[in-house]
This record gives sequence, structure tokens and C-alpha cells, in this order.
Amino acid sequence: MQSSIENPSSVEQLAALVERRTPVRRLVEWVAGIRASVHTKLLAGFLIVTALFIVMAAVNVQTLVSATRQAQLLDEAHEQVSWAQQSEQALARQMHYTDLALFSQDEAAIAKILRENNRFNDMLSKLEAAGMTEQSLLEEIRSSQDEAMGVVADIANGIRDRKLGTVTGDLLHRQARLDEEISTRVGRLVEAQRTRMTRLRDSVAQANRKSLILTSVFAVTAVVLALFCGFVISWSFILPVREAQNFLDQVAQGTFGRRISVPNRDELGVLAERMNHMSMELQRFDKEQRLASTELVRLNDQLAQTSKAKSEFLANMSHELRTPMNAILGFTEMVLDGLYGEVPAELKEPLTDIQVNGRHLLRLINDVLDLSKIEAGRMELALGEYSVREVVDIVHLSLRSLAVEKGLEFTTSVPENVPTAYGDNRRLTQCLMNLAGNAIKFTRKGRVEIGVKLDGSELVYRVRDTGIGIPREELENIFGEFRQVDATVTREYGGTGLGLSITKRFVEMHGGRIWVDSEVGKGCTFYFAVPLRTKDEGI
Amino acid sequence: MSEKTILYVEDNEYNRKIVRQLFSRTSYRLIEATDGEDGVAKAQKELPNLILMDVQLPKMSGLDATRVLKADARTSQIPVIVITSFAMSGDREKAAEAGATSYLAKPYSPRELLALVRQHLPESDQRSGGDR
Repeated sequence: MQSSIENPSSVEQLAALVERRTPVRRLVEWVAGIRASVHTKLLAGFLIVTALFIVMAAVNVQTLVSATRQAQLLDEAHEQVSWAQQSEQALARQMHYTDLALFSQDEAAIAKILRENNRFNDMLSKLEAAGMTEQSLLEEIRSSQDEAMGVVADIANGIRDRKLGTVTGDLLHRQARLDEEISTRVGRLVEAQRTRMTRLRDSVAQANRKSLILTSVFAVTAVVLALFCGFVISWSFILPVREAQNFLDQVAQGTFGRRISVPNRDELGVLAERMNHMSMELQRFDKEQRLASTELVRLNDQLAQTSKAKSEFLANMSHELRTPMNAILGFTEMVLDGLYGEVPAELKEPLTDIQVNGRHLLRLINDVLDLSKIEAGRMELALGEYSVREVVDIVHLSLRSLAVEKGLEFTTSVPENVPTAYGDNRRLTQCLMNLAGNAIKFTRKGRVEIGVKLDGSELVYRVRDTGIGIPREELENIFGEFRQVDATVTREYGGTGLGLSITKRFVEMHGGRIWVDSEVGKGCTFYFAVPLRTKDEGI
Repeated sequence: MSEKTILYVEDNEYNRKIVRQLFSRTSYRLIEATDGEDGVAKAQKELPNLILMDVQLPKMSGLDATRVLKADARTSQIPVIVITSFAMSGDREKAAEAGATSYLAKPYSPRELLALVRQHLPESDQRSGGDR
């Protein structure tokens, strides 16, 4: 399996084999469907394999024991053949000495005969003790041998009595007959032993071959079974894991709601069930999200349309309001300029009143429209390089006559080292104009001062006056819309009540802030700080 | 060189009246148009020395009319002063982009308007008006 992981194509081949509707797959599914934990299945697999190897080892031991036993039997048979041959040789020598005794009439030969006879008998006894099957043959050999020993006894008597010569012919004849008889019988015995050994050897060889085949077949079967068992068990785990992998890939690609189906009734089956649950939940969430998102898109479209409508309305209103204002102010100015002839003295004041109120109405319209645009998010800053001194000078120039009229000292102070700044100079001028205009409006005597200071990367504009001041509890509210300190102030001093609010918005659009220090009766100081280089974005 | 002609394109009767009366004391000859298409037609026919163009006009906006005139070889040299209601920010840029020579926000003071016109087209100057 290790090498298979490194070689994905072989895993894929195996997977293709298993995933097809083959008997292997049915078996794998059957194993997967067993209601047991992964641990139990693995344990069972290992136990099966171990059992197979134990049985294999037992068969091997059995074969070994049987082979040893056969070798022992073979050794015994070999020994018996040897004994039979030795008895044959002893017999041959015995016959030889008998012939010798008969011709030489030497008693010493008799002793040699007896010795060889003893040896022969020994061998026969050994064969008998080993469980010879040819008992009748042995009996025949023994009786012939007894007879032969009778001949030997006669020979011995003949030698001792010196009468051998008379019986030699008879003895010779008997001896020759017995010789042949015994030789034949012993020869049969040896042959029987040899045959038995050959048979035994054949059977041992056959048994060995059989046990070799058995052992080999068993070993091969055990290995194949072990591999097969391992294969089936491992694939019963791999299949659901692969299914899960495909399933999760699809989930990752955003396909929700698909169900995974595995035959496993173990932890993997539980896992698959959880995944199905997750899939359903994800589908549900996805559906909800899609619905919500569609709804949001719809709302957003609606909002955008509303906003566009509002913006268009504002643009139209701006035009519609300013066009008659243009006519009112234009005609008034031309009348006052004497375009239609000299203006009677008594008409000058009411005409000037019309002009002043017309301008005030225009300011109100401008302020309301500015604020509406800011709130609709349609106000955009026209950013560019500007001279701080120029802004201060424009404000000073525009309001100087007003200050002079009220008998106020009106000064500016801009340090030489203030660099060129970046922002919407028209809007910043409007801000400073609002603050300075207010200062002049609310100051009866004393002075109004416009100052600028560079503080790090911030440009701080300041308007200080010696006017009526603002009560502490009102300080928080003064930047709200229509928030003059009280209604009587509005009547006495005029103003739209929108100037500070608009100023605050413009300052904030520049990424700046506005604040005020004040003491009732002593005057107040308004500050606003904007970045020296306002960023193009985020405003 | 005869009197200098100024074309004023504006749909509001009172505003046209102001300019008419303002210019009645000057040597300029004023011709009027009440919408964008009319303005373009009159400009092509009369070839005025200067055009005062309101932005919000029926039929064709002042900016579009300015573009048409700037694209026409006969009228492309005529200076155009665009007058807006200052409704939207970026009007100044839009006016410049359309080819306007100068720009005036409404409500304007008649005095300022006259000064601006004189700046671009001097009354007593013998040269035919041109942008400076």
C-alpha cells in the first residue's frame, strides 16, 4: 500500500477494479456492511492472518516430524538388510568350512563352522527381534540349518572316530543338498529385506513429495488468503474514504445537498451520516444565504434607485430654486445700480432689505442643499493643490467690510513656512467662512482672529473671537443641525443654523476633526484640523 | 467692425429679461435662444462673437450644445461662457471638458456677468472677440 500511494495510477487501477460492480466489490461491501467497529474489523483481520500463519507453522512441524520418522524407519530397514547380508555371508563361510572339514578332516575347521553358525544365528535372531514378517521362511532356514548342523556333527564324529572315509560320500551328498536349500532360502530372505527397503524408500520419497506439495499449497493459500483478507478489509475502509473525498471536493466547489452513500456500518458509516447531515445543513444555509443575498441585491438596487431619484430631485430643486433667486437678486441689483434710472431715496432702504433677505434665503437654500447632498452621499470633494494663505485671504477679504462695520479688529496670521496643501479649497474656504462669519456675528466688540498652524502632518485652522461665548452644556450640540444656542439668538443674530453642521461634515470628509473651546462672556475659539495632504480615496 | 453679437441661451424668461436689460445700456447686440437646439441653430446661423450658455435647458443640455458647437468648424472658435446652477460638484470640470471658455455659477450678480463678458469680449476693442 505504501508504494501504491506513491504511485497513484496503480491505486486508481485498483480503485477502478473495486469500484466496478465486481464480486470483489460485493465482498468489500459485505465486509464494510458488517456491524462492527473499525478496531474490531482490523483486529479480526489480524487474527485471521495470524491464525493462518499458525496453522501453516503447525503443518510444517507435522511434515518435519513425519519426515524424521520415515528417515528412522529407513535406517532400520537398511540395518535389517545389512543383517540379512551378513547372515548370508556367515552361511557362505560356514558352507565353505564344512566342505573344508569334509575334505581335510581337520577338527579346527569344525570350530570355524560353529563360529560362523553362531554369527549366522545372531543375525537371524536380530532380524527376528526387529519384527521380521517372513517367520515361516525363518523357520525353514532354522530347520535346514539344524539339519546342516547334524551333518556337521556327523562330520565331527567321523573325524574323531577316524571313520569319515566311509561316510564321506553320503555326507557330501547331504551337505550339497542342504547347502543349496539354505542358500536359496537365505537368498530369498535377503531379497525380501531388499524389496521391503526399496518399498519403504519409495513410500518415504512419496510421503516427502506429498508433504512438500501440501506445505507449499498451504503456504501459498495462507499468503493469498492473508493478502486477500488485508485487501478486502483495507478497501472496505478506502472505498468510503474515497467517496468522502469526492464528496468533500464537491462541497469545496460549492455543490451542497449531495448525499454520500457508503455500505459501512462502522465509524466510517457514522462519519458518512454526519457528512450527509452537514451537506443538508450547508444546503439549507446556502439557500438561505442566496435568498438573503438576492433580497439584499434587490434592496440595494432599490436603495440605489431611491438614492438616484433623491440626487436627481436635489439637482432639479437646486436649479428650480436658484433660477427665481437669480431673477430676484439680479433685478434688485440692477435697480439699486440705477439701471432703470435714479432710485428715490425712500426706496433705497426697502430695496436693500429685499437684497439682504434674498441673499440670506439663497444662503439657506445653499446650506440645505449642501447638507442634503452630504446626507445622500452625493457630495464629492474636488481635491487639488491649494494655497492656505489664499484661503485665509479670501475669507478675510470677504468679511472685512462686515467686521469694519461692527467696529471689530479682524486679523489673520499664517506662518511663512506653511506649504502648499491638498484638499478641496472651495469647501475649506466655505468652512473657514462659516466660522469667521459666526465669530463676527456673535462678537459685539473686541476682535476676531483667523490663524493657521502646522502641527505634524495636520493643518490646524483656528478662529478666535471675544464674543458672547457658548455655555458648557451647549458645546456638545452646536455641531448638530439647526442648533443655535436658543431661538432668540437666531432672531437677534440671524444665520441658518446649518453652517457649523456643514463645516463639520466637510472637515470630516477631509479626514479631519473640529472642536471648540469657549467661556461664556469671554468668547470662543473654533478649531478644525485637516491632513495637510488629504488622500484621494476614502473621503 | 460692426457691433458685437452675444447669443444668450436660457429658458427662463426673467433671466433673459435681466440680461436683455443689462445689455440694453451697452453696445453689444443680444440675440436669445430658449433651448439647446434653438441655441445651436441660432449660433450656426448668426455666428455670434460670444455665447452665454445655461446648463439646464430643454431639448438639449447646455453642455451638449457646447460640444456640438465646438465640434462644428464654423462655431468652434466662438468663446462660450457656461452658466450653471451649481447643482452638482464637478460642474466646472464638466464645463471645461465640454469646451467652455469660462464658467459662471448661478445666481450671478449682473455686475459680475457684465464684467466677465467684457473681459472676454471688450466693447470698444476693434478686434473680433476671441478667447484669451
